[in-house]
Amino acid sequence: MTATLVYGLAGSVLVGVGLYGFAVRRHLLRQILAFNIIGSGLFLLFGALARRTPDGTSDPVPQAMIITGIVVAFAATALAEALAERYQELTGRTALEEDSKPAPPDEQESELRG
Amino acid sequence: MAEPGLLVALPLAACLAAVFLGRRGALLVWVTGPLMLVLTWQLARAIPVVEPLGGWAPPLGIALRADGFAAAFLVMTALVAAVVGAYAATYFAADPRPRRAAAFWPLFYAVWTAVNLILLGRDLFNLYVGLELLTLAGVAMVALDGRAATLAAALRYLLFALFGSVTFLIGAALLYGRYATLDMELLAVALAPDTATVAAAALISVGLLAKAAIFPFHAWLPPAHAGAPAPASALLSALVVKASVLILFRLWFDVLPPLAGALLNALMGGLGAMAVLYGSVQAIRQDRLKPIVAYSTVAQLGYLLLAFPLAGAALGAQPWSAGAWTGAVFHALSHGLAKAAMFLAAGTIMLAAGTDRLDRLGGVAKAVPVASFAFVIAAVSLMGLPPSGGFLAKYLLLTYAFAAQQAGWAAVMVVGGLLAAVYLARPVNALMRAAPAEGARFARVPAVLQLAPLLLALAAMLLGILSFEPYRLIQVNNPAAAHEGLQ
Amino acid sequence: MSWHRFLLDAAVGVPLLLTALALLPTRRGLMIRLLPFAALPGLAAALLVPSGTAQPLPQTLLGAGLVMEAQGRVFLGIAALLWTLAGITARASVTGERRDRFAGFWLATLTGNMLLVLAADVVSFYLAFAILSLSAFGLVVHDGTAEARRAGRIYLLLAIVGETALLLGLLVAASGVGSVFIADIRSALPALPRRDLALALMIAGFGLKAGLVPLHVWLPLAHPAAPVPASAVLSGAIVKAGIFGLMQFLPLGTALPDWSGALVTLGLTTAYYGVAAGLFQRRAKAVLAYSTVSQMGLIVTVLGAGLASPGPGLALSAAGFYAAHHGLAKGALFLSVGVLHAAGGASRRPLLLLTGLTALAIAGLPFTGGALAKLAVKGPLGTGAAALLVTLSAVGTTLLMLRFLMLVRRDTPAPHLRPRPAVLLPFAGAALAALTLPWLLFPAASGQALAYAFSPATLWGAAWPLLLGAAILAGAVRWGRAAPVVPEGDLVAPAERLVNAAIGRAQEWQAPAPQLPLQGALARVGAAAGRVEAAAARWPVIAPVLLAAVVVLALATV
Repeated sequence: MTATLVYGLAGSVLVGVGLYGFAVRRHLLRQILAFNIIGSGLFLLFGALARRTPDGTSDPVPQAMIITGIVVAFAATALAEALAERYQELTGRTALEEDSKPAPPDEQESELRG
Repeated sequence: MAEPGLLVALPLAACLAAVFLGRRGALLVWVTGPLMLVLTWQLARAIPVVEPLGGWAPPLGIALRADGFAAAFLVMTALVAAVVGAYAATYFAADPRPRRAAAFWPLFYAVWTAVNLILLGRDLFNLYVGLELLTLAGVAMVALDGRAATLAAALRYLLFALFGSVTFLIGAALLYGRYATLDMELLAVALAPDTATVAAAALISVGLLAKAAIFPFHAWLPPAHAGAPAPASALLSALVVKASVLILFRLWFDVLPPLAGALLNALMGGLGAMAVLYGSVQAIRQDRLKPIVAYSTVAQLGYLLLAFPLAGAALGAQPWSAGAWTGAVFHALSHGLAKAAMFLAAGTIMLAAGTDRLDRLGGVAKAVPVASFAFVIAAVSLMGLPPSGGFLAKYLLLTYAFAAQQAGWAAVMVVGGLLAAVYLARPVNALMRAAPAEGARFARVPAVLQLAPLLLALAAMLLGILSFEPYRLIQVNNPAAAHEGLQ
Repeated sequence: MSWHRFLLDAAVGVPLLLTALALLPTRRGLMIRLLPFAALPGLAAALLVPSGTAQPLPQTLLGAGLVMEAQGRVFLGIAALLWTLAGITARASVTGERRDRFAGFWLATLTGNMLLVLAADVVSFYLAFAILSLSAFGLVVHDGTAEARRAGRIYLLLAIVGETALLLGLLVAASGVGSVFIADIRSALPALPRRDLALALMIAGFGLKAGLVPLHVWLPLAHPAAPVPASAVLSGAIVKAGIFGLMQFLPLGTALPDWSGALVTLGLTTAYYGVAAGLFQRRAKAVLAYSTVSQMGLIVTVLGAGLASPGPGLALSAAGFYAAHHGLAKGALFLSVGVLHAAGGASRRPLLLLTGLTALAIAGLPFTGGALAKLAVKGPLGTGAAALLVTLSAVGTTLLMLRFLMLVRRDTPAPHLRPRPAVLLPFAGAALAALTLPWLLFPAASGQALAYAFSPATLWGAAWPLLLGAAILAGAVRWGRAAPVVPEGDLVAPAERLVNAAIGRAQEWQAPAPQLPLQGALARVGAAAGRVEAAAARWPVIAPVLLAAVVVLALATV
């Protein structure tokens, strides 16, 4: 069993676990965590891919992708956290309610008229 | 001079500048708007253009490529963004909450950057970065108001979008593992129909469908688009969701045509048809202006997917023989213009009337006549009435449906058009009702807020009347599958 | 020559420009003052531009163009004349707050009309048809009364249905031909694989505009509701758009016996139905509207007869000729309603006389243009049962026209009232044109010498239906009882009730205890849509669907 295979398998397992959590959990924080687990799994996968060049040197492209991907995932996590926290402050909920009716008349819009 | 890189760098620079400028970020748009219009126009005249960034060729480097498809959307994006920017500058000038206004501008430029990046990029990871930037800026825009309802809408949007990002990235990883490149041109050359490729195609496509709010993954869109401030709604509906569909087009028509069998095309077409019918029915059920417009986006996006079963499946004798692909692209362009116009008009109407409940809008046409007129013109394009761009698009799609003996898809389009007439007739009727509702007072609004939607609505109309030039533009370097069909 | 092409541009461009001008916040009443001039370039083009002049506009639409064809010239000339005359009346008689809006709709409708007769390609043709249909809505509802709004609603609904049918018909035809030009489509149509579908859809679309039964219901509602000059152009020019469309696209010259039979049946049914329903109307304008329905039925019969046999035949020119006469005469009669309403005392008698002459001309009164029109269509109709029925229909037309005259005679304005010249002259102009212009056009349209029209047999052939009609009416007045009244728009009332109920149900989707099958179905669709929407928003539902979609898509991919 090569190191590449270990990394690849571990990455795949993490993606699977993360996807399960993302789909099944209702708590917003848990969903955000699940998203990050998927992300970690994917970065492991990319890392494993980088090692697969025929001459054994590492491919720089996946490494560049990992770094970019981490930045993107970080930004997404930060935004999600901020939104979830504010949402909990306003409503006391930690999970989205199940009704997606378009927001009621926008009282802010009328404030603008002042 | 036509530098594709500049079209990404300029809005990105403006985005950074806007972070520091705060509310004064509004002033930037008077420079960036005209400048971007000129630059995109020059690019449209110079296509096809390829720019390997930093001189590094793929697969190691990333190339930006502008074909007719990209150029047409770049010009449309520049026009929509410039006009929406001008509108927003006035709209937020009166905002009592300075933080909302200050937060809007970096997001505005982030969306612009991301859309341009997506249009020019041909590298799946590059597209992923663009998509993420687009999604995060879009979600933040929805949450601008900071009310519980809009936060919930933003979070739901984020859930769908993150799912889409994840599957997109998994797909990209699979493709990289298989082909050691993510450049679309190189992928298209090396493509083999094996398991990894098929799985990657499915993962990426479903991710994009979720981000594009295609039925049944649409539930996040109406609350998000209806709850955002008017300029944000315009950008979201006109550009943001469309970007995902455009990547889907690039993917299947440029890279994966050998994989697209009759079954897949029928499936995509079926999803589109469901979106058209379902979105329209939901739009009819709404009793407020912005939700109607938002559900109309759900419906209109469905037309784009009809290009899959219809593309190229026709005789070559037509003088406009580039298949339903062109019709769908035309539809996306005209919908972008008309929908942005409609959301801006709806925003102005809301400012004037203080509400967007249809039963409270009587007499509003007298208070904001130009915006109401713009709404009607945009409605004409969405209904597909001549001579609008929407009509031209439907004309092309329908001719192809008939020529390809696929009357079923034609029936969907016709019914969709009639349903659009029904769901748009109600708001138009409400606007034109002479008698104001009891106790209704109308506020005065600045002229810019009325003229901006009119400009975009007229652009949607002109796209139909002077259709020859955009039609020619779209054809430049278009994918072979657009002519020959996917199967 | 270039100025010919320029005139073609101007015929469409001038009204278009004025329409754009009308959209601006205008100086009070300026636009309405411009109405008489808007159609003049069209009139000039009809008189001066030689047939075959084409103005290609490759940059617009999908490669559009204008062209002057022989058929279009007649329609262009008559329409432009009528729009000019009615424009003079409108300028004088349409007043009040909303006159500028009226002028805007008027100009837009006129633009559509001009483009329609000059369009060389299907896209501009359809564009023109749509502009014409939809802008005419503004003319119908102008008065703003409940009656006008109801008429407008029904008109708009049917217009949209007609537009859709027409668009589909044109698309089916164009998709099989590979050209956008009308001439190409017309010549290729008979051999198309989906010819019958294309023809059926086009006949439905055009027939709706031309008022073919049972699609005629908008006509008797819209005409009485609109202001007098608007009724004149509605009946004289807009209804003709349907006839013009049929003439543009029906492959006359090819034998299509089935379609011939269908059109003749449809036409004759319409002709007699219009008479039957029109006789029991109480308002002069409603009687005229039903008469229009009936007359359009006759023209469609002629066109249908033209499809019976191969060869060019005279059906096309004869039908155009008949339509031209009818346009002028019916326009004049609608204008007469306004004139007679303002003519008291001694001024009344000569005006009634002119009105009577014009009305009976429609029934074919000898020595009038109407007699020539009837004569011209005799040839294409041949000698069969259809020809006899068309001749007999003149009896009905006579009855209808006499009924109209009785109704306008009843109107008794104060003796000192005199119609203003601006209202009087257009009426007189249209009436005289209807009575005389056909003499100029007759030889070309019918292939007969004028002398034929004066032979005793011809004169008697035109006169006996009139005499018979007069006798029947005299008998009815002498011995008849009070006539029943048919509501304007006859078939529309029950349909309207059903539609209203259905729309009411669709909006409140949780409707309890549905009463009609249709209502129940609509309520169920609404309820289902609500449930789907709730489910699609639930993440625990949609997340598995998303994952399943990946699998399904992968399986569907080759």
